[in-house]
Amino acid sequence: MELYEIAATAFGVVMLLLTTRELARRKIGLLQYSLWTALWLALILIGTIPQFYHTLVLVTQALGMYTPIHFVTTFSILVLFAVAYYLGRRIAELDDKLSMAVQHIALQSANTKHAGLIEEKAEPPAA
Amino acid sequence: MRIACIIPAFNEESTIAEMVRGALKHCSTVIVVDDHSQDRTAELSWRSGARVVKHILHLGAGAALSTGFRAALRGGFKIFVTIDGDGQHDPDEIPTALDPILKHEADMVIGSRILQGSRSMPLIKKIGNRILSIATSFVSGTKITDSQSGFRAYRREVLDCAMHRARDYRWASEILVLAAKEGFRIKEVPITAVYRERLKGAGIRDGLKILYSTMKSL
Repeated sequence: MELYEIAATAFGVVMLLLTTRELARRKIGLLQYSLWTALWLALILIGTIPQFYHTLVLVTQALGMYTPIHFVTTFSILVLFAVAYYLGRRIAELDDKLSMAVQHIALQSANTKHAGLIEEKAEPPAA
Repeated sequence: MRIACIIPAFNEESTIAEMVRGALKHCSTVIVVDDHSQDRTAELSWRSGARVVKHILHLGAGAALSTGFRAALRGGFKIFVTIDGDGQHDPDEIPTALDPILKHEADMVIGSRILQGSRSMPLIKKIGNRILSIATSFVSGTKITDSQSGFRAYRREVLDCAMHRARDYRWASEILVLAAKEGFRIKEVPITAVYRERLKGAGIRDGLKILYSTMKSL
């Protein structure tokens, strides 16, 4: 067994265990778990069954790519663009929600304490 | 007439008390929106007679102002005045801004720092303000000389229909464009402005963002 095969298998197994633990702790959803698991299993397969890599070569060549690494890098870049777009949108949405929550809390507190009711003028304490 | 003065403030302990006391001479209520200051802004505002609305996180001038507007709208006020908390504006000029509204000549009044001459305004701000005012005038269809002025007066109806959404300095142009598109009458009156040593406000990056969002609303 070549060194890269051992490294790929070990890394894949460790990451699969970590990902499974995250799922058990409900820190990730089933969809996210499935996507990562597919990646780790592919790594383990490449490490343990080198012929799997040759199968991948045939598949990627059928897709018009010279080697699997071309496929992986090209596809990863596309996925990263999609992830960046999605995360940007999500952050903007959360930012808006956070802003609304802060304003809501400010208005609620203003009606109950410190500033007194907006409708009824409270006497400020002596300086 | 119930008039609320709204002062958005962020770390303004050196000037806020003076601004609140000055505004209270002309308005029935002063609402200071403390945008998560790290100093005694909220306490000094309260002690000076303002009602204080506090943000638990720093959101920006636009968000502070919209919180203040919402508080005042809930309070049933009919007219709103806004001034900056940094001491740039003279609260004794509030009647100048209120006058066109009380005389039913305008629905929204902008205190322009340009109309009386803007010698005290730093050059970079003068250039930026000019560019943004031209862009805002073009988009809104109303001639504005100082689109970024925080010294303003509004009738309640304007805020009912044209409340801004921007959290940062973009609010100034956004609300102007919205009000103009709703057909509200906008008027400018000359005001003076004092630029203190500790100069705050919109920078070049903010200016570019304002320009982009203003032109986007075409």
